[in-house]
Amino acid sequence: MRRWYQQLDFLSVFVWLCLCACGLVAIYSSTHGEAQEFLLSTVQNSFQRQLMWLGISLIAFVGTLLIPVNLLTRLAPLIYISTIVLLIVALVIGREVSGARSWVYIGPYGFQSSELAKIGALCMCAYLWTSRLELQKIFHRAGLIAAILVLPAMLIVLQNDLGTTLVFAGLIPVLWLCNGIPLRIVGVILIFPIAGYLAIIHWMIAVGFIAVVGLVAWVGTRDFKWIGVGVLASALTIGMATFALNYVFQPYQVDRIVSFSNPEASEFRSGVGFHLVQSKAALGSGGFWGHGFKQGSQTQGRYIPEQSTDFVFSVIGEEWGFVGSVLVLLLFASLILRLIWLSQSIEHPFATCLICGVAGLFLIHVVINLGMVLGLLPVIGIPLPFFSYGGSALLTNSILLGLALSIYMRRSELSLYR
Amino acid sequence: MTRVRYTLFNSTVISLVLILILQLFRLQVVEQHDHSEVAHGNALRNIRVLPARGSVYDRNGSVLVHNLPKYTVTITPKYFDESYIPRLSQHLGVEDSVVAHRLESARKRNPYQPSPAFSNVSFEQYSRVIEDSYLLPGVGAVIDQRRNYPSDARMSHALGYIGEINRDELHTMGIDADSALYRQGDYLGRTGIERSYEPWLRGVPGIARRWVNVYGVEVMSYASGHGDQQPRHYYDIHLGIDSDVQALAESLFVNKRGAVVALDPNDGSMIALVSQPDYSLELFDDGVQGDSWRALVNHIDKPLYNRATMNFMPPGSTWKPFMALFALSEGLLGEHGHEATIPCKGYHPLGGGKVFRCLGEHGSINVLDAIKHSCNTFFFEIARRMDISAFHDYASQFGFGAHAPIDLLEQTSGLIPDSSYFGSLPNYLQRTSMMNMGVGQGDMGVTPLQLARYVSAIANGGTLHASHLVTHLANPETGETLPVPDLPDPAELQIDTLHLNLVREGMRLVMEEGTGVMAQIPGIPSGGKTGTAQAPGDMTDHSVFIMFAPFDDPQIALAVQCENTGDGSQCAAPIASLLAEQYLKGEVPPSWRTDIRMQRALSATSQLLAIDDDL
Repeated sequence: MRRWYQQLDFLSVFVWLCLCACGLVAIYSSTHGEAQEFLLSTVQNSFQRQLMWLGISLIAFVGTLLIPVNLLTRLAPLIYISTIVLLIVALVIGREVSGARSWVYIGPYGFQSSELAKIGALCMCAYLWTSRLELQKIFHRAGLIAAILVLPAMLIVLQNDLGTTLVFAGLIPVLWLCNGIPLRIVGVILIFPIAGYLAIIHWMIAVGFIAVVGLVAWVGTRDFKWIGVGVLASALTIGMATFALNYVFQPYQVDRIVSFSNPEASEFRSGVGFHLVQSKAALGSGGFWGHGFKQGSQTQGRYIPEQSTDFVFSVIGEEWGFVGSVLVLLLFASLILRLIWLSQSIEHPFATCLICGVAGLFLIHVVINLGMVLGLLPVIGIPLPFFSYGGSALLTNSILLGLALSIYMRRSELSLYR
Repeated sequence: MTRVRYTLFNSTVISLVLILILQLFRLQVVEQHDHSEVAHGNALRNIRVLPARGSVYDRNGSVLVHNLPKYTVTITPKYFDESYIPRLSQHLGVEDSVVAHRLESARKRNPYQPSPAFSNVSFEQYSRVIEDSYLLPGVGAVIDQRRNYPSDARMSHALGYIGEINRDELHTMGIDADSALYRQGDYLGRTGIERSYEPWLRGVPGIARRWVNVYGVEVMSYASGHGDQQPRHYYDIHLGIDSDVQALAESLFVNKRGAVVALDPNDGSMIALVSQPDYSLELFDDGVQGDSWRALVNHIDKPLYNRATMNFMPPGSTWKPFMALFALSEGLLGEHGHEATIPCKGYHPLGGGKVFRCLGEHGSINVLDAIKHSCNTFFFEIARRMDISAFHDYASQFGFGAHAPIDLLEQTSGLIPDSSYFGSLPNYLQRTSMMNMGVGQGDMGVTPLQLARYVSAIANGGTLHASHLVTHLANPETGETLPVPDLPDPAELQIDTLHLNLVREGMRLVMEEGTGVMAQIPGIPSGGKTGTAQAPGDMTDHSVFIMFAPFDDPQIALAVQCENTGDGSQCAAPIASLLAEQYLKGEVPPSWRTDIRMQRALSATSQLLAIDDDL
């Protein structure tokens, strides 16, 4: 029998390291180009700091791999509770950074409590499979999973960090899917964000979506009750979204929500659309092959706000072009798909919940972040995993990956807890 | 977890990634052109590279005008936050309100472009701003050139000043706002050779394409500088001016108004061009400030006015050599004009001894002696005999009454009456006026420049050269030299050599035995003629003098006007003589003659002009 560390999935590790390396290249390029001398001194150090964080993350990754599964399952509630406590601590004594009061400082070293909360929540959901809780009724499990995710999500809303809240909300359908919740329920919950999104884009597409929902429900269930639920849910969502946009929200809020579809419009381009216009200009000017390392005019001229954090992908897009962007996307896709495949090869509910949860988390981050950078979604500030400058996110994502790979590595021990 | 769920999960991942890839394809491949345009518009600037304005050198190669670096701090209002004001004002050593004010004007001009907010800051201030530029987004600095005048010779009127071009001028010049040639705020020669040689001094601006960052700071060259246009074609200008002569002339004019024009009679190049009082060109370095400008414009002595080319006044007796040549060539003195005499009883009989008076009783006097003794009666008589049209034509031949060919644009034509001028006057008044013109008084005016060209033609045997300050232009990079552009050919005057020599001889006698005797150059024979131009009202007369030297091989011809200082031998003659000596010898060696000339030149003062109470 192979030793436990020989079971490590080196493909995932390789893809992960490739992503981290690409991220570092992007940050290096945007801080060490010809224009370096014109940067703020704090920005000039971004690369070094990120490199340091990558080192810490590597150590944490290896450390995570060393945690035995039985210890993890026992610690899960403790981890969850401590991350919740941290969120509360951040709310009370935390420091506000770019609008979100989610930073906890120990001396000069700060980290984002909302990032660590992701670990806690995922562990807790997986823990449900190992506990002695009576969860024969599938709706109990669904409710409990939702509750586990909604609690930190609400605290993060209080911290004024909408992006991370959305990540937690997005985890609900993913974890339901992985935890055997009936697909029709997962489907219904997915209707709300999709219908809402389409309502923002165009009412005709939204109306078309109602028909699609009805059709899918018919094909999937052959049950008029579910067709009714689906159609009603989508129609209600569209109606409420339209009503809210027209009568509830303030004009500036509406602008922020709808501007992504047309950021070049004269009323948006210097205001709420500014980020997007710049980001699209950078990406688009990259063309097929890109301008090359440290050659992007928009990157070097710092025209894209937050270009080493939330908008870091614009650097890749401008300097490495369509080729580089697609390559990065494929790296992400292969990491996520690989994780799902690993989960499938274990076939153990605890592992499935955790590994697919991690894969889902990465997917949500990538889709929301790139959707925003590419102008498909409203501007919502969440980082691109392994790319965006920021230690907490890099550390959290590395630990999450470590957890997933650790479980896969120790899959032989898992049967004990089935 | 069932297989279906895995398939659903996997296909969700794949379809979401496909959507993202499709959008990437749209942005980066399909719409690449549009987005590139936005990106270029953001970050690509065409930056003009102005060639350094040409330098100016004198006859001996000394620098008269060159450029020094000028440091300007710019503000791009869009990126400049008002919270930076205290830091910037501290670096520049000005009040916060000054910075706020400049910010406001910059914002009015164009909030997106860097506009010069503080020009001519010191190198120390410039360095402090540059060192802290990362803390001062929107603040930039440019180094360009400012004019510097290292010579002792001020030459305000000959060199001229430069000034910022404004929108209206651009409009009248037919230059649109985006032209690279001139833009609002560029410097443009306003007077003097800075004006007349503007295209050569300025050259053609080049264009450099640069990537600028979000703060408007240049960060990279575009395409490694390929496609940049280098600035072209500017020339250094070499003048015929001898800066030592010029400086001496300016120093001799203390407390005087007046002008000097000194020409090289061999080619018409200008050795000195003085107009006093003058002004400091450095006042215009940074765009003349309102108060200084008003003071210059409103000053009663008119310092901005180029007396050497624009001040016309009667020539006084310096006109007599001209009248002699005129009389001889027109035959007004009869068959053997050079021997013919006219009786002088101390006055011309016309007007009964009170009107047309002479300086003395010269008896029967011929041309030569008339010039030597400056006999008014003789020239009154010539004027009585002359035909006004012939007089006008002859004067025109010498360049009087018309703009002289010269590479300065500030000029007046002077006044030589012709037959139509007196048309409305009664006959006796016409006669009186004409008689006065015989001795260079009355209703006529010549400029110092015209006088100098006239004496220069007498000196060189009858060639009237086009005058020019500039001797040649030189491209400092290629070494290519250009002659003076559009220089007209010299005109040969129709003068009998015999007549000319007679007049020259008369002028020599003036210097050796006549009114110019105190203005002789030790060791160098010369020709000259004093003049005293009557000033209107009860003002002191103007002192006028023309001169050339050395007599046998003239190298310099001068005309000097000193306003309201008395007769010609008192002020104008010693000045002309000292300048000629300086030019010919390279110095003015001490001697008793030097002392006398210096004393006479320096002690003369222009009678102060009365200031109207209304002003």
